[in-house]
Amino acid sequence: MNRKGLAIYLCGAALFLCLYFFENNTGTRIVLLCSVLIPLMPTVRRAVSVKDTAVKTGLPVQTVKTFSRAETDEPGDIRAYLPGDPVNRIHWKLSAKRDELLVRPPLSSFTVEEKTEKSSESAVPAKHYKKLSILIGLIAIALSLILLFVIPQARYALEAICNRVFQASEAVNSYVYEYYPVSSEQPVWPAVLFLGIILGACIGITVITGSRLMSLLLTSGCVVYQVYFGLSFYAWINIALFVVFALAMLKRPFRRKSVTMLVSAVLIISLGIAIFWPGVDAETERLSEKLRDRLSLVTESIAGGTREDPTGEKETRHVHTESLLYGNETALANKEYRLVTREEEEISMPRYVNYLRTALLLMLVVVLLILPFLPFFWLNARRKKALRARMIFGSEDKNAAVYALFQHVIAWLEASGYSEGNLPYRDWPQNLVPRLSEDYARRFKDCVAVFEEAAYSDHVLSEHERQQVYDLMRETEKLMKEKADTKHRLLLKYRDCLWI
Amino acid sequence: MRPQLEGVVNEIGKVISGKREAIEKILLALLAEGNVLLDDVPGVGKTTLAVALSRAIGLNYRRVQFTPDVLPSDLVGFSVYDKQNNAFTYRPGILNGANLLLGDEINRASSKTQSALLEAMEERQVTVEGQTYPMQKPFMVIATENSVGTAGTQFLPYAQMDRFLLRLSLGYPDYDAQMDMLRRRQNNNPMEEVSCVLSKDELLCMQKEAMAVTSKDSILDYITRLALASRAHEAVEVGISPRGALFLDRAAKARAYIEGRDYVTGTDVQAVFKDVCAHRVLLKEQIAGISVPLLLDELIKNVENPDRHSIRDIFGK
Repeated sequence: MNRKGLAIYLCGAALFLCLYFFENNTGTRIVLLCSVLIPLMPTVRRAVSVKDTAVKTGLPVQTVKTFSRAETDEPGDIRAYLPGDPVNRIHWKLSAKRDELLVRPPLSSFTVEEKTEKSSESAVPAKHYKKLSILIGLIAIALSLILLFVIPQARYALEAICNRVFQASEAVNSYVYEYYPVSSEQPVWPAVLFLGIILGACIGITVITGSRLMSLLLTSGCVVYQVYFGLSFYAWINIALFVVFALAMLKRPFRRKSVTMLVSAVLIISLGIAIFWPGVDAETERLSEKLRDRLSLVTESIAGGTREDPTGEKETRHVHTESLLYGNETALANKEYRLVTREEEEISMPRYVNYLRTALLLMLVVVLLILPFLPFFWLNARRKKALRARMIFGSEDKNAAVYALFQHVIAWLEASGYSEGNLPYRDWPQNLVPRLSEDYARRFKDCVAVFEEAAYSDHVLSEHERQQVYDLMRETEKLMKEKADTKHRLLLKYRDCLWI
Repeated sequence: MRPQLEGVVNEIGKVISGKREAIEKILLALLAEGNVLLDDVPGVGKTTLAVALSRAIGLNYRRVQFTPDVLPSDLVGFSVYDKQNNAFTYRPGILNGANLLLGDEINRASSKTQSALLEAMEERQVTVEGQTYPMQKPFMVIATENSVGTAGTQFLPYAQMDRFLLRLSLGYPDYDAQMDMLRRRQNNNPMEEVSCVLSKDELLCMQKEAMAVTSKDSILDYITRLALASRAHEAVEVGISPRGALFLDRAAKARAYIEGRDYVTGTDVQAVFKDVCAHRVLLKEQIAGISVPLLLDELIKNVENPDRHSIRDIFGK
């Protein structure tokens, strides 16, 4: 299991399993459980053959390891980092495994790769094309969103669509919705058009960038929609949708192995749900009902209740509540109460407030969707930082290399509980002897001298000295790995990012 | 340790048993061109140490036994009317011509005599009646202070204490050292055996080299943090002065040089920290459980040493 996979998997699984317990429609359940699988997908992808890549970095060749996964897995054009290569091309994962810096081929995206194959042009125009398409996609999304709310026809169409969804939901559930005041003859095509553009642009960006986050968000949106409105598609539609999303999340080019794994996992889960938990369970239904009510309350409180009149009348249907409350029969008879005019309403509660509230709600939803993945982002940032520190290990500046290497040794010792606190490193060995081997303490002592020379003197160190400290670092890693228990292993790997 | 200095220490070790550490520290002060204040009971070998040191390096040794009526002119010299020439001629004092001056019981001297000596220590020159006379090079003062029998004495003010690089205490010899000393003195005077193993010029050269030792910014940063921490400590009235920080750097350089390195490490600073700084720190009041050495230990323990301090730059922790 690779690290990113684990992080995403845990977060995603937590999110989707939470939803799962409030849903009992078989189709939606399948989607939810399958969604749990999605984050697992990147991990299916595995390491590369190192045989045909040029190895030209500062680190000695002995660090090169061959991994068990197939040699044919990765295209051979991953190569060693050379000075001048852009940093964002560095293949961090691979570099970490190999303990040396490797860069990706100039283009990693699926579609663009195809293009270059055809035209065999250089990477630069393709890259521009890619950036341009992303930009166009984003602009299209933004424009559609704005137009959707600015053009009255589109807005009414959107409301009509919502009404239809409400209708459909009411037909199969016991919910009651407050409908938007639009006539049922309202044509829906303008909203469908804009929504289609937005969806298309989202999918397009996903395809071009190979971003897995977008697919994840789409899946999440799909799931939330089904759960919130109590509307489920047929199970097979759900499965198809899920497969599409999941495929979008796979690292391109597709691996036969990962696709097989994906399909079999979906089959197993679908069958399992269909056989063991079919139909509706009263207890779950009650719980999910409760949650949905609570959610609608929250939505109501944020988005507000007032809605706009579509017919363009001068007066809204909002009755002046006070005149109704205190008015008596005669007042009613004399028609002393009156309707609130649009202008009055505009003063007491401007329309843009409602838009702001809706925007706030949307942001809240997005934040909630992203929240579970924050630990992953955090871990990833730490890891990249650690990797950047490792870059120095093989640098031409031997002093910097020795310095970084030795501090790395210290970081290992500290993370494994061998820290001597604020003692100078020179005094560490005497306390290390009883806990580690005498031989190790002796080597440590020798390396402290080298380290001090690197840190505090103007001397230029030799490759031999760097090698000496490098050996100590390998030895420390080995020792600490051997001694670590399961908990420490996790800490070393994820919290301290030493175990790469 | 550098072989030449090792030789000096061994020579001095012939007359003083079991005090190797103190000898090394005094050598350190000599290399750092600083002065030493020995705070000790009588008869533990302060004079012997100074004499042996001057013999081993071939320094001119002078000694003043301070009493309340020793005058500044005894130290810096004075002018006397010469009848034949009909002019004043300068008679050099004890400071002129001395490489190593042992000022015994400096706390018994009057304050004006003390200040005359201290000025000479600081400026390395004496000025008498408008005429400036430079001191010999190298020049070092070892002043002693008795902590017993202090009636009628004038202790050095804090400000003047600050001018000594080190304040040391020899202490009584242990059983073996005492036995060894007695045995050696049975027949002959071991002082005769001390031979000159280092010339004055070599010493001057070494002083130069010692001051050329590299102190990187990380070390200076450490010294600064130590000084600031001592000033900010709640129990401290007066912390390590800027001069104290300077002296700390110099002493650390000399220690690195003695160790045979040409760069200062955090360990060097820690090794000299207590001797350099103990007499520069004044506690607010006598709080139970706090003494200056304990406080300095605490500082070393709490202030992050330079080895670790920069770990953040690399790993962002």
